[in-house]
Amino acid sequence: MLARHIKPMAFQARRLYVEAMFQVMGQALQAVSEIDSDVQGEARSLPEGFLFEMMVMPDGPRLIIEHLGNGALRFHGSTAPRDPDLSIQFKHIAHAFLVLSFQEKTSVAFANDRMLVDGDLGYAIRITRILNRLEAFILPRLVASRAVKEYPRDLNLPKKVIGAARIYLKVANQFVDTVRA
Amino acid sequence: MSNKYYEFFCPVKVIAGKAALEHIPYELTGLAARRPMIITDKGVRAAGLLDPVISACEESGLEIVSIYDDVPPDSSTGVVRAIAEVYRSEKCDSIIAVGGGSAIDTAKAVNILVSEGGDDISKYVGAGVLKRPLKPFFVVPTTAGTGSEVTAVAVIADLEKSVKLPFSSSFLLPNAAIIDPRMTLTLPPHITAATAMDAMTHATEAFTCMAKNPLSDAYATSAIKKISTFLLPVMENPKDADARLELAQASTMAGIAFSNSMVGLVHALGHATGAICHLPHGMCMSLFLPYVLEYNLETIREPLGELLLYLDGPEVYATTPASRRAEASISAIRRLRDALYKHCKLPRTLKETGKVEADQLDRIAALALDDGSIMFNPKEVTLEDARAVLQRAWA
Repeated sequence: MLARHIKPMAFQARRLYVEAMFQVMGQALQAVSEIDSDVQGEARSLPEGFLFEMMVMPDGPRLIIEHLGNGALRFHGSTAPRDPDLSIQFKHIAHAFLVLSFQEKTSVAFANDRMLVDGDLGYAIRITRILNRLEAFILPRLVASRAVKEYPRDLNLPKKVIGAARIYLKVANQFVDTVRA
Repeated sequence: MSNKYYEFFCPVKVIAGKAALEHIPYELTGLAARRPMIITDKGVRAAGLLDPVISACEESGLEIVSIYDDVPPDSSTGVVRAIAEVYRSEKCDSIIAVGGGSAIDTAKAVNILVSEGGDDISKYVGAGVLKRPLKPFFVVPTTAGTGSEVTAVAVIADLEKSVKLPFSSSFLLPNAAIIDPRMTLTLPPHITAATAMDAMTHATEAFTCMAKNPLSDAYATSAIKKISTFLLPVMENPKDADARLELAQASTMAGIAFSNSMVGLVHALGHATGAICHLPHGMCMSLFLPYVLEYNLETIREPLGELLLYLDGPEVYATTPASRRAEASISAIRRLRDALYKHCKLPRTLKETGKVEADQLDRIAALALDDGSIMFNPKEVTLEDARAVLQRAWA
């Protein structure tokens, strides 16, 4: 009896977690593109106005990011102003949860066929590298090592701590701005 | 290294061995097809490779309604559209692709148009766009390397927009792949060597990259064993039909392996080098394989060490300490390449190709980083890493 009630709650919690993580990641992607030259370098090769979506199939949580130009990214929340140029789609909310709770690396999720790419594969590879760079910045090294294929060799402790602090500060400001708006 | 989750799919009927071509009429009629079209290239036709296919069909009262033999090495949307028009005007009901990667990819794309309708192949770009089976489609490979007869992808160039259009769907897979030793018997030595090394790379990367799984491992190791055993005998005696068949089967097996577990940095570098310097794909694979294995070594030590059994046989495997087997596997591949260089001057370095300039390496490295295969390489590749591998492969 109890199990019958707990299971839907667990599903709901998992969905809420994925939605929340998409929000945090979206804000953090915008922030990291403002402070890290590596991310800016990767993003710069995306066309200006390029719209990228990460979502859960068939109509689950999503995050929308736009490349404004010159390596700057902008988080659009979960609503795209037009059809995205690139969509990375998790086949199921359970697969998104595995990746966003750092139980499965993004690259492993691709290898395990958990995700589909609709759009230019080369751009998807770049976006994945940007996501990896972000995770390496904002997660403790032990957790980040579980999330990315290889922890970046150039990311030493001072650089990571300062970078993470700036990203978290920007994310907090963006959340405050969103709430005020 | 091996993942706890995997997917494996290969519904292609493999018809292999002596007089395999003679099974085509029976297989076609089994799918209610009576009016096949052959898609091939001029080289295949000039080599007389269509003759046994046509006579096998005619002997069974099956007429080949149309033959399109003008597929270029890098096929385009225009070619696909032109072939689809011929198919429709001749009221064909099935396709037989006879050739290498380009003819097979072209035939896959033609099958989309003639099954789904329309003239614009770009509407079907991407993964999962096709939702239903296509027309009966058979593939007769004439090289032993690409494995295209068992892959669910096709790449066609859009010359107007200067982009390559990728198509991916399980419906692109042929109903049957016909592996007949007559088809590869006259393959020139340097193409035999390059395409076999392409298959060797498919199998080796399938076995050592991130999406490896027990089923693709079985195909990969079997393919490596066949190539290691039969490639040099074929180079010595190109008319050895039995050894040719072994290589052709190895190519198909390697194709099944890599289409289910993907490939890695060798392919990323090879695609980039091919795009910039116009080197043949098989040559690039042969050239980069040992350098990439050395680069990935510490991440793939265990599976690469296992491959020694299939590369050099049980005696060498047993007498090599476990800690040295991975290096011994690389040495075995290097020895094979040296032997091929001796036989047909298959280049071992970028410099030996005579078609690559040192100042192109940075562009190749940058392009390789955006290649889809790099996602499945076991080691995270940076621009500096790619440059370093290219420098090692230079001379």
